Amino acid sequence: MKAIRLLLLGSLLLLQTGCWNRVELNDIAIISATGVDWENGKWVLTNQIVIPKAISGQAGGGRTAAVNVFSSTGDNFRIAISKASQESSRRLYFSHNQIVIIGQEAARKGVGPLLEAYLRNHDSRETVDVFLSKGTARLMLEQLIPLEQIPGAAIQRMIVNEEMSSSSYRQMTIHHVLMDLLGHTKATSIPGLALAGSGESTDRVDMLSQTSTPSKVRLSELGLVYGDKLVGWIGEEQSKGVMWLTNHVDKTTVAFACTAGGKGRQGSSARVLHSVTKVKPQQQDGKWVMKVNIEAQGTLLEYDCGGDLMKPEEIWEVERLVEERIASIVTDGWEVVRKHKVDVLGFGTLIYKHHPKTWKVIERNWKEEFPQTEIELNVNMKLSSTGMSGKSFKEAQKKPGL
Amino acid sequence: MTQTKKTALTPLSPSLRANVQAVNARFGGSSDLVVRLFRSDAAPERELGLLYIEGLVNTDVINESLLAPLMSMKLPPHMEGKSDRLMEALRTSVVSIGSVKEAAALEEGIQQMTDGWCLIFVDGNAVALMAAVGGAKERAIGIPQTQTVIRGPQRAFVEELGTNISLIRRIIRSPDLHVQTHKIGTQTHSSVAVLHLHGVADQGIVKEVYRRLAAIDLDGILESGYIEEFIQDETFTMFPTLLNSERPDSVAAGLLEGRVAVLVDGTPIALIAPTTFFSFFQSAEDYYQRYDIASFVRTIRYAAYVMSMLLPALYIAVTTFHQEMLPTTLLISLAAQREGVPFPGLVEALLMEMTFEVLREAGLRMPRAIGPAISIVGALVLGQSAVQAGIVSAGMVIVVSFTAISNFVMPENNMAATSRIIRFGIMIMAGMLGFFGIFISVLFVLIHLASLRSFGVPYMSPVAPGGKSGGLWRDVFVRVPWWAIVLRPLDMKLRNPKRQRSGRKPPAQRH
Repeated sequence: MKAIRLLLLGSLLLLQTGCWNRVELNDIAIISATGVDWENGKWVLTNQIVIPKAISGQAGGGRTAAVNVFSSTGDNFRIAISKASQESSRRLYFSHNQIVIIGQEAARKGVGPLLEAYLRNHDSRETVDVFLSKGTARLMLEQLIPLEQIPGAAIQRMIVNEEMSSSSYRQMTIHHVLMDLLGHTKATSIPGLALAGSGESTDRVDMLSQTSTPSKVRLSELGLVYGDKLVGWIGEEQSKGVMWLTNHVDKTTVAFACTAGGKGRQGSSARVLHSVTKVKPQQQDGKWVMKVNIEAQGTLLEYDCGGDLMKPEEIWEVERLVEERIASIVTDGWEVVRKHKVDVLGFGTLIYKHHPKTWKVIERNWKEEFPQTEIELNVNMKLSSTGMSGKSFKEAQKKPGL
Repeated sequence: MTQTKKTALTPLSPSLRANVQAVNARFGGSSDLVVRLFRSDAAPERELGLLYIEGLVNTDVINESLLAPLMSMKLPPHMEGKSDRLMEALRTSVVSIGSVKEAAALEEGIQQMTDGWCLIFVDGNAVALMAAVGGAKERAIGIPQTQTVIRGPQRAFVEELGTNISLIRRIIRSPDLHVQTHKIGTQTHSSVAVLHLHGVADQGIVKEVYRRLAAIDLDGILESGYIEEFIQDETFTMFPTLLNSERPDSVAAGLLEGRVAVLVDGTPIALIAPTTFFSFFQSAEDYYQRYDIASFVRTIRYAAYVMSMLLPALYIAVTTFHQEMLPTTLLISLAAQREGVPFPGLVEALLMEMTFEVLREAGLRMPRAIGPAISIVGALVLGQSAVQAGIVSAGMVIVVSFTAISNFVMPENNMAATSRIIRFGIMIMAGMLGFFGIFISVLFVLIHLASLRSFGVPYMSPVAPGGKSGGLWRDVFVRVPWWAIVLRPLDMKLRNPKRQRSGRKPPAQRH
């Protein structure tokens, strides 16, 4: 009897916890994307919240937008978040946030406060993808994207797709950005988003009922960040060069011309299926020279030149053309980064790894020394297959008919 | 051990009439007491009386083997004229019945009558001759109802103890199979048989079973469940510490493993002791079908049991505390389902679980004819409409359904029932503390399991206490091929721990 009484009293203790920090699914506003802008001397935080009912369930999916976008303003991020409760019926829930878009203005002002907020709070995940945007972040968040119901998730899948199939840009998570900016070179590169098309915002569901939307969000240019500020943009081709230099190319397609030196129309292309870039810093005549060695392997996708590809010598010739093209992409990328004087290539980190003592000396004026660096490029392309046909179509046509 | 109570015995009277009167009085003039008075050709001067209880005896046997020979008997030559030796003559040369005994006391005779024996009184003799003529109508041996298998014997126990013992004897044809019958129940005098395999079972455990049975002093034993509650080691536990079976082959398997079986007259359910937690996951079929399939199915059974205990709790914890653990798409889909559901996740889950328990109980108790109606109401009205009406979310219905189905994979119903109770406790803990609560509950259950014993054998053996020979693990989570099961599974002092010699793997034959 005594034991039962004690047990009952003990079970009352359980009730005292008051269900701890329980929160029901219909009490949270699931945020799929966050945007950060800098306007009139204040941070503008924009949240894209998911409206679950509009996505799944019987109640007419597609009639209403699956997300709602709203902004709140404050001197810092957390105050802006807490102000959101003045216009949101539910608690903002950041754990499932997919992307963070930083507006151009905010990026020029500095992303430090944002990273600070990310480091300090447990509900914000560092696996969130970061983007810069040419316009305001809010504008990007307002755009609906065909095929996907949640634009935030759509943009996240866009960068994953790009990284896997073309490697012009690379997925940058908050974690990557933090590692770079807290690293030796204090520089990083973040892919940019832009609104392509007529400029009319695709922010109504009925616009998706047409076969083409007036404008769409697309990945565009690579933002270079030094310290915590945006210092400049580089184009897609140069961005690809950066990706080659930093060993972030895995699969990509390289277009090349038939003549040596890359002159003429680039009518042929090869698919790179695997590529490894190795960079080794060396000091030569008081200058740093980066020995870049690229080993790529792939297949021929499209061929517009002469010659019989059944002969190995011809293949070697094609391989040389591809190598030349890759080298020119890399060189272009290198030149433009050098112009911006921002070591997003991680050369400084490499020097630190190979020559830690020397790095301590040059670390202070690395920003000046970086543009003086030279690269020594060696590309090795291996074509493992020419596809299902040998000669190009045009060559084959020259033969007498069957 | 037949009569533990020492009551004064009434000696029989030499007068037939007085004896018949006494018996009649003892039965209170019951109408099913048949008294047949007659005279025999051998000694016409002496009246004989035949008494039995209608319905407990086989009247054909009485007519052919008792009444007819008794009436027409002739005394053997050397007994000619010695009518006082009539009783002896009856026993030695007239009554053609296998089991015959003599009773000197009234109580003795009456006790046997209730067992289906008949009494024969001879006027002038203060002794009654008793003959076993039992043969009440019994249900035929049927197929197992609760422990079904696809491959394996399709015989189940019936209510009659003698038949049940014979079913086991027909499997284990060895004189080492010892059967001890006890009478338990001060009013019902139910026969309770204890079976063990001599030379294999631990004598200490056999004696302990006898001891615990002897201590029972209840007026009636109607089912083996009564015995189970009296002889189990721990009453205050939700886990059964005795195995139940209605399959003669399962009981025989238990006996071969050195366990003790308890069969109770009047029920087809036998008890097997000692038992371990893991025995409840072993179906008879595990040993009949190929070992690889048996192992796979057994693994599924363990997983399903854990699911049936934890799934609703996990759902509650994930949806109300740890939303970040869900994939985003799933979270949004679950959130959409929960839009407009008025109750917290815990209440929703409790509501649905209770509904299912009610449905299940109704399905068991209702008259068979109403079955389809209940199914429609249960499945359609409660499941579908509750979701459409926005009282519960569709995800919750799926969780509850899967939990319910997982529960049915258990070969032993009483172990399945355990998880049904524990589930509610864990759900409440999950609703209050999330995963932390589930963790506490599971830990609590595990510690409790480790503390249990069944007739002195640790309930969780051979897993806990561990460190024992690996040979004991060959039939726990998986079943290895038969030739590799060398040891008997019980982690106790068996007289003979080996089932077979090792190294009996069939050699690869090349032709």
